[in-house]
Amino acid sequence: MSSHSNHNVDIHDEENYDPTVWVPKVESHGTKSLWSRFWILLGLTIADVVAYFAWPPGIERNVFFILMGVLKAWYIVGTFMHMKYEKKSLGYMIILPMILIIFFLIWMMYEGNFWNSFK
Amino acid sequence: MSTQTISKSSIWRGGNSPFKVSYGKLMMWVFLLSDAFTFSSLLVAYGAIRYSYPSTELAQIESLELSFAENVQEKFAAPGVDAHHGEHFIPALRDLDVFTELQWPSPDLVFNHFPFAHGLHLPLIFVSLMTLILILSSVTMVLAVEAGQRGDKKAVSTWMLLTIIGGFMFLGCQAWEWTNFITAGATPNANPYGPPAFAALFFGVTGFHGFHVFSGVVLNIIIYVNNLMGTYEKRGHYEMVEKVGLYWHFVDLVWVFVFTFFYLI
Repeated sequence: MSSHSNHNVDIHDEENYDPTVWVPKVESHGTKSLWSRFWILLGLTIADVVAYFAWPPGIERNVFFILMGVLKAWYIVGTFMHMKYEKKSLGYMIILPMILIIFFLIWMMYEGNFWNSFK
Repeated sequence: MSTQTISKSSIWRGGNSPFKVSYGKLMMWVFLLSDAFTFSSLLVAYGAIRYSYPSTELAQIESLELSFAENVQEKFAAPGVDAHHGEHFIPALRDLDVFTELQWPSPDLVFNHFPFAHGLHLPLIFVSLMTLILILSSVTMVLAVEAGQRGDKKAVSTWMLLTIIGGFMFLGCQAWEWTNFITAGATPNANPYGPPAFAALFFGVTGFHGFHVFSGVVLNIIIYVNNLMGTYEKRGHYEMVEKVGLYWHFVDLVWVFVFTFFYLI
């Protein structure tokens, strides 16, 4: 039953696909891009803090912060979570539903603002 | 045997992986998508409830004339009261109608503490430090994954250990943040800074995120011990490090948006 202990199985074999053990062959893409993403994320966070103190509160500042959040998410999902090395179909499956959530978030903020007018 | 020209992995009729990922990794991605929906529902609730209250007026904040790293305890103490004992900031701002149940408190005036800087007005600095810790632990995690791709068992151990330490540091910071908020008098249905919903959402969202960080640290420890025992060396691949790494990066990703919505906006 346990195919894990069977040493004759080639775990990378695409022709004899066994979902309990099959894994694709992986190779390292090096550490250089990982550290460059760290410096980018650090820079974006510092830019957030600077904007917070230098820019008076308002809708423009909030839009800026949300765009910075999306940009940080782009680097985390793309490089740290290896999405840029995966097949595009997997990326669409994960990312498209999340893009639709952004509309829901904006609609519910407007809805909340409407409740405010009843108080 | 190899007469076919189309790779078997490019067709969708079973018996292969069209995404060219293992079953476990695909299921981790599906789980993360469903978990992202859960966090989205919490943030959507936050957005709706937060904008059902008016924001703190900019003129009100400016009238306090608070500047960065100022001693707020002394500034807001009543005459004859020792400013170094007890919290004077909240009652004073309640008297001035800055903290009322009718308007959403500015995060600037709520989360303005920093360890060993008692009574100083230091908004945003502590959460920025927490963000830095979590981003750094994400980098050490991805370095562990990279070491696993090279089959370097010793490097996987080193980077996993650093990731676990980073996770505990973040949890410690969050415990400190919660302690400040609770000792000020906040509970899930009471909030000295303004509407009780603010405290309920704060405890709900950061608590749910903190529980995810805690689960991530537990998973990281399991992976660390497995790696020391040579489980992945025997298996021939280190994909388990990558799968748990996906979860850990997701926790970092959620924090980016908690940071944006709770502290910046």
